Amino acid sequence: MTDLFRSVAALRLGLAWLGALLFAASGVMLTWEVVARYFFTRPTIWAAELSQLCLIWGVLLSMAWALEARRHIAVDALVSNIPAAARRWTEALAMVCVAAFAGVTTWHGWAIFWDSWARGRTTGSMLDLPTWVAELSVPLGFAMLFAQALAEIAKAFRTDWAAHAEGLHE
Amino acid sequence: MTVILILAALFALLLIRVPVAFALGGMGLALLLIGGFSPLMAPQAALSTLDGFILLAVPLFLLMSNVLLKGGVGADLFGAVHAWVGHWPGGLAVATILSCGIFAAISGSSVATAATIGTVAIPEMIARGYDRRFVYGLMAAGGTLGILIPPSIPMIVYGFITEESVIALFLAGIGPGILLVVLFIAYAMIHARFFGGQRPEPAATWEERRRATLRAAPSIALSALIIGGIYSGAFTPTEAAAIGFAAALLITAGVLRSLSWKGLREAIFESMATTTAILLIIAGAKIFGKAITLYRVPQDISAFISETIHTPLAYIIVVAAILLLMGLVFEALSMVLIMTPVLLPAALSMGFDPIWFGMFMVIMVECALITPPVGLNLYVIQAVARTSLAEVSRGVIPFLFIMLLTVAILYMVPDLALYIPFKL
Repeated sequence: MTDLFRSVAALRLGLAWLGALLFAASGVMLTWEVVARYFFTRPTIWAAELSQLCLIWGVLLSMAWALEARRHIAVDALVSNIPAAARRWTEALAMVCVAAFAGVTTWHGWAIFWDSWARGRTTGSMLDLPTWVAELSVPLGFAMLFAQALAEIAKAFRTDWAAHAEGLHE
Repeated sequence: MTVILILAALFALLLIRVPVAFALGGMGLALLLIGGFSPLMAPQAALSTLDGFILLAVPLFLLMSNVLLKGGVGADLFGAVHAWVGHWPGGLAVATILSCGIFAAISGSSVATAATIGTVAIPEMIARGYDRRFVYGLMAAGGTLGILIPPSIPMIVYGFITEESVIALFLAGIGPGILLVVLFIAYAMIHARFFGGQRPEPAATWEERRRATLRAAPSIALSALIIGGIYSGAFTPTEAAAIGFAAALLITAGVLRSLSWKGLREAIFESMATTTAILLIIAGAKIFGKAITLYRVPQDISAFISETIHTPLAYIIVVAAILLLMGLVFEALSMVLIMTPVLLPAALSMGFDPIWFGMFMVIMVECALITPPVGLNLYVIQAVARTSLAEVSRGVIPFLFIMLLTVAILYMVPDLALYIPFKL
């Protein structure tokens, strides 16, 4: 089991890093776009669209990592002032809400992706990419978020949870 | 009634610590399902948010300011400004505010501004005998200039949800930003004159000034490039952010040679964490916004306001009070995203300009950043200065009044914001 947990953690962090690199890559592409436009008077047809895909995938790939690392913005005003025993329950309840949202979004996000895939829909832009290239990110990202939220529910009832939550508290 | 139920349910979710992004998205999705609307709208709204070209500017501006932060540009900037004004009464405090103002012109985030300048300025001021509370308050408030002086992430977000021009918003921030810098400086000098205690400093020599200015010159040129480029239409705000990121790399890794591999890795990773958090809140707010529009919530609130409040002044005072109260527990960006769709329709019917209203929201959000118990800038200063939250919070009070004074002046002289984008 420990091995499994370790590889899941490595995958989660790896995807977050991939997201980080995709953001940096969009910066490089857009800089190139401006350079190409002003210095070579040859604007690219790919920079804007590909960098947009970097943003979409980057955010959705790192979403599950951010839940585990407690990097999503949340209101701490109430939970930081209630006893630890009660905090387990509010935490578990909060993660049930996240899981429900993520589950339903995964389901419908998949429907959107599948429809575009089956019909071979394209964006109609300059690159004319298939629309599923962007749409697949939603079911994938939210499925990972769903799994992570379930894991967080289980964690809330572990004995050492309070110390763990305190340590990562921002 | 529906309005109260919806808001109560949302606040309940937020208070049990459901992350803001998922509380908004989940509430929106639940409303769609209950009302019999297509739940497909939820993933579609999330995707269309991330597909917004203007929002690409968010990770890129963050990358730029994080690279500059890790490259130690804060110390250079502060050193240069200090060499010029250090011998004035309250000179270090004046230098701190000016450094915040200049860094704000290359950074779109107030947390980055407070962290970059605070790391250098706080120890210097304490060592010179400045009153600690004054120092903490000055730094927390000075950091908020980061989002009023362009570029600004909250302005990008406001422009995105209201479909207003981000360029006009950026330009509108210049006037109020300069006014706030001047008021902070005036307060710092008055404080030094009457409540002083700090040791005066000798003026720097011309040679010192030349050397310090030269070292900070690339960063100052970068801010000029970004604002000039956006203003002249040479590139879009998103492209400006990309160029800013590339130039920041060039300056810190190439010219100053102050950026390590470790620093670069941290800058890239930190930018990702913040970007993901911010963009998901926007996506969640988009789902929520769609749902409450289908329930006619903004229209109902707008009608209620126009029945009960009759003058624009009363409206602004009421809204300012609501935002101040919300700011006690809410994080800044969430506030813009939750409240703008609710408040803007009524503001427009009262005759307010949407760009002006954006400036008003941004200054109110700055207040939220420095009001306890939840104010990101307070946490930053607390962490940098290794002190208590209470100590920082008390120091902030006079600066909070100065910011509210700026709102009052902005109300009386709307051209303070609107002159540069529309009449220049």
